[in-house]
Amino acid sequence: MEKKPRKTRKQEIVQEEKPVDKAEEAANLKRKPSRRPMWTGSVAIGLINVPIKLYPMIYDRGVTFHFLHKPDNAPLRYEKVCTKDNKVVPWPEVVKGYEVSKNQYVVFNKEELDAVKPESDKRIRIDKFIDYLSVDPVYFYSSYALMPDKSNDAYGLLLQALESIGKAGVGRITLRTKEYPVLVHAYKGALVLTTMRYGYDVVDPGGFEELKELKTPEKNELELAKKIIKDLSGEFDISEYKDTYRAKVEELIKKKLKGETITVEKPPKEEVKGLMAALQETLKQLEKK
Amino acid sequence: MTQKLTKVNFSNLDKILFPKVKVTKAQFIEYYIKAAPRMLPFLKDRPLVLTRYPEGVDKEGFYAKDAPQGIPDWVKTVTLYSHSAKRDVHYIICNDLDTLIWLANLAAVEIHMPLSRVPERERPDFAFFDVDPEPPCTFDDAKEVALLVKEKLDRFGFKSYVKTSGKKGLHVLVPVVKEYSFRETRDFVHGVGQQLMKESAVVVSEFKDTKTPGKVFVDYTQNSHGRTMVCPYGLRATPEATVSAPIEWSDLKKEIKPSEFTIQSVPRLQKEPWKNIFENRQKLEVK
Repeated sequence: MEKKPRKTRKQEIVQEEKPVDKAEEAANLKRKPSRRPMWTGSVAIGLINVPIKLYPMIYDRGVTFHFLHKPDNAPLRYEKVCTKDNKVVPWPEVVKGYEVSKNQYVVFNKEELDAVKPESDKRIRIDKFIDYLSVDPVYFYSSYALMPDKSNDAYGLLLQALESIGKAGVGRITLRTKEYPVLVHAYKGALVLTTMRYGYDVVDPGGFEELKELKTPEKNELELAKKIIKDLSGEFDISEYKDTYRAKVEELIKKKLKGETITVEKPPKEEVKGLMAALQETLKQLEKK
Repeated sequence: MTQKLTKVNFSNLDKILFPKVKVTKAQFIEYYIKAAPRMLPFLKDRPLVLTRYPEGVDKEGFYAKDAPQGIPDWVKTVTLYSHSAKRDVHYIICNDLDTLIWLANLAAVEIHMPLSRVPERERPDFAFFDVDPEPPCTFDDAKEVALLVKEKLDRFGFKSYVKTSGKKGLHVLVPVVKEYSFRETRDFVHGVGQQLMKESAVVVSEFKDTKTPGKVFVDYTQNSHGRTMVCPYGLRATPEATVSAPIEWSDLKKEIKPSEFTIQSVPRLQKEPWKNIFENRQKLEVK
């Protein structure tokens, strides 16, 4: 955990050497499956074990920028600086502190914390099976692909059974040092594990004051609203949604690589939008003349 | 988006130009954009005189004949000797939408145009009757006199057009073929005015009577190359943001007020009473 910043910095340098590839890669919309499992273990249902390998499935593909030093474009590095003497602190001198009140810390060293870390028992323990759709998406955290680990028969059986009755297993997993509630369900011909948030990490929106002022709608209003919803109903298709900001930034990156300069287009203000609408109308009329 | 539709970079769009009616510069520019298809045919090739009110019409404005410093290279100008300024002046020519928008962005509230076009600066294409009521005469008296002018012109076989001045008067125009000098159009207008003077107690048409109280002056002196007229559909620097609006002759028989024609109401008018005005250029010969 503690060494993460340094690792990230190494990656930065590699990426900067091959910016073309990055832009090209970004143009490929579909992610290829990872080759190395991030975890191996088994799905445990009662006394039955189905050995599996777990692969990452979710990638956040937002555009990331790095801070550089303006005069020489060198990447910037973060340093841990002691607030008392303003000196850079090396890792061996770092401990963790839990703030109990302002500027009051309970201090732990690594060994003390490691001792209470949950041990992964390499099992995804399924407690029961539920209707997959009865879990609200507010609890979903991240998803992982589960692949058979020399257990094709058992894996295939579990997959088909879940597919045919539309249920999902609910259970627990310990990933690295954290325990999560999980769902195991069938998705696109594979078993997928979705980690979930704990109940206490999610606010109950029904508790907001604003909801107390809601009125019961008139019957005809409700009918109309329902009709509108029905008329606009369709199949869910995620490909209808694209990150336009990302696409524009990628376009800018390509232009910069080709040596083109980029002129900044200021976003039109509200007033300008009105003028633009009038302009379009007038240009149309002038064209007719 | 801005770059595609117009070359003009707008500035100070939320500035209030007409405080009484709370019209912002954005709304003002929008008016000229909407009026452009009707205005541009009148403005074409005419060296313009502007009255700019960058601080709003309640503050002091200034006349601008000479193109300002830093004028974009796509704005057309013409250099002419100005008799009043006694020097060469770079007049702005507004032949396209972008130039009109640029003028609007300069807060050129009033756009005044001469009655002739370059290069034939001595050949007017309008004979212009400026019907100007002197208090206690009112707009209603101006209406009556404008109708007398029309009747007279009708009798001689001339087709004429009328617009509000945007203030208290009316402008009557006869589009003419470009064969006459300003002296000839001026004499023609003066002649009509003199006849009306004989027939109506309220009409005066001699220069010495310009400011005679209780009279309506049919001004012929505007027919000169140094003079200008507020352009059709042009705004006036009045608190109500009135427009010099082309109207139908029949409107003058109704209860109309110049204050009805404003930055808000004129863009909504469907009628284009002056639509075919340039197809009716006439010879100044009595039929």
